[in-house]
Amino acid sequence: MGVFTDRNKLVTMEKAASMINDGDIVAVGGGLCMREPIALLRELMRQGRRDLHLVGTAHGFDVDFACGGGIVGAVQETHVSFEQDFGLAPNYRRACETGQVKIRENCCNTIIMQLRASEFGIPFVPVRSIKGSDEIKLHPEFKPMIDPFTGKKIVLVPALVPDVAIIHAQKADIHGNLKIMPPYVADVLFIRASKKVIVTAEEIIPEKEMIEEGPTIPYYETTAVVEAPFGAHPTSCYPYYAYDREHISEYIKSAGESAEAFKERYLNKYVYGVKSPEEYLEKIGGKAKRDRLASWKESQERWMELFSYE
Amino acid sequence: MSERFEIGIDELFVVNVARTIKDKTTVFHGVSSPIPMVAMYFAKLTHAKDMVYFGGVSSAVDPNPPFLPPTTNDWVMIQGRTAMVTVDKIFDLAQRGELDRSFFSGAQIDKYGNQNVSMIGTPEKCKIKFPGGAGGCNLSGDCVNYTIWTTRHRAQRKGDRKFFTFVNKCDFVTNVGHVTPYGRREELDLVGNGPDWVVTELGVFDFDEKTRSMRLRYLYPDTTVSDVIDNTEFELIVHPDVRVMEMPSRAEVEVIRRIDPLGVRKLEYPERELSRRFTI
Repeated sequence: MGVFTDRNKLVTMEKAASMINDGDIVAVGGGLCMREPIALLRELMRQGRRDLHLVGTAHGFDVDFACGGGIVGAVQETHVSFEQDFGLAPNYRRACETGQVKIRENCCNTIIMQLRASEFGIPFVPVRSIKGSDEIKLHPEFKPMIDPFTGKKIVLVPALVPDVAIIHAQKADIHGNLKIMPPYVADVLFIRASKKVIVTAEEIIPEKEMIEEGPTIPYYETTAVVEAPFGAHPTSCYPYYAYDREHISEYIKSAGESAEAFKERYLNKYVYGVKSPEEYLEKIGGKAKRDRLASWKESQERWMELFSYE
Repeated sequence: MSERFEIGIDELFVVNVARTIKDKTTVFHGVSSPIPMVAMYFAKLTHAKDMVYFGGVSSAVDPNPPFLPPTTNDWVMIQGRTAMVTVDKIFDLAQRGELDRSFFSGAQIDKYGNQNVSMIGTPEKCKIKFPGGAGGCNLSGDCVNYTIWTTRHRAQRKGDRKFFTFVNKCDFVTNVGHVTPYGRREELDLVGNGPDWVVTELGVFDFDEKTRSMRLRYLYPDTTVSDVIDNTEFELIVHPDVRVMEMPSRAEVEVIRRIDPLGVRKLEYPERELSRRFTI
């Protein structure tokens, strides 16, 4: 929702982060360990944002990192983990168990339907399959009722309107046209359901080139655009880079130990002490790391190596 | 006679899950599901060639990945596909009653097949936070049928206490089984028929029609009825004709090894289970 016609939407990362307010409902793009707007989350931490209410489907690094960085007040994602690769999400778990974040766990189709209601400009939608689950206890806003047409049991769920969607795209132009490569997960829904859409992109390309390629999302649906190469790291952003297991393994070690260890060994090193994207790239291993994560396309063996178990 | 051939519990387990998949059906696996991931790909290449195969959150139709990765949302999982859809289209299919099968698990599972993937404790005072059910709450209601799997049937001893996965009562019901805390499925007007198979590292189970409760059907060559009963907190129904499961063929096991060179099928087990080997 929202129509944005500015010819030049290019802003700095600092400016983009300042457009997100304490307490905002934020739809974080991507999913699990793929194409998540991590550089923007780092900037939100540096700016000391608080009490964000995160919404989405199956997520991993982004939500765990945001919880560990202290910017989250509530989580309405459907799943947060590192799957069986690294297991449970340590910062998310700790934040839920200490009461630092409010648990508003939801289910994928319910949240998709709620986002669709927003996209369609209608106040609510009926969902059949919440019945029988305790998930309803986490959502007093859901209204079980009898369908007046069929007489069957149904649950009404309200439109979910995020204040802002934050999306990492492969390409954007300064007008705000986006090229996102599948899988989209819920990104297209987030863009259409949210009041503002802030995009970080691997590459800013000329508008003419974008039009030739054919945008996935037209310019009038996006609010601001930031150039952010490596902006999804350590999650993947194919075809540029695969996900960085080595880095995530280091992350899990400190996050799994304690909140203090995570702050000292991870946040201080990779977030607070970092002045520029170039410095971040140096800290995570520089050109050698960048080349390694891009090597997935050389052969099946190289791609498998990036997933190999130590 | 062909030579004796050794297989692992991980391979036999994958085949047990794959056997719950029928040809010419629509099938989807969710997140954090390495075993269903391998089982679905295996089924597509063996007995279910006309299955409509949705490979996880990546939402590729009939992918043909060069190997299986330890995450369900990666470009590996969209290689060799026929088409891409978005994940909401898979949920639409389920809502219409046209998704034939999916796969769910839980840290706690009760006799009716309800599963807890959410938490121990209460939302206000959460003792242990699990990852959450992803699409499980909706899909367990909507799918025509689904398979429950867990590699952690064996109860854990801590001091004098025994901690069960198969419990009398789940602390929180995320995914719905046959009889929920809010009533039976048909009383709730759900479109799906609930779980029809449960595969664990100790046995394979279906559900008794009358009581809607889990019933032991098949054992592994190295498990017994009492092993299963001892590791289950609720009173388990035992089918009068419990037998040892049929072993896969060597050719089938070779397919599993070929499609899963990284061994993601082994990621879900406590270390000691993986030493279980069988000769075919």
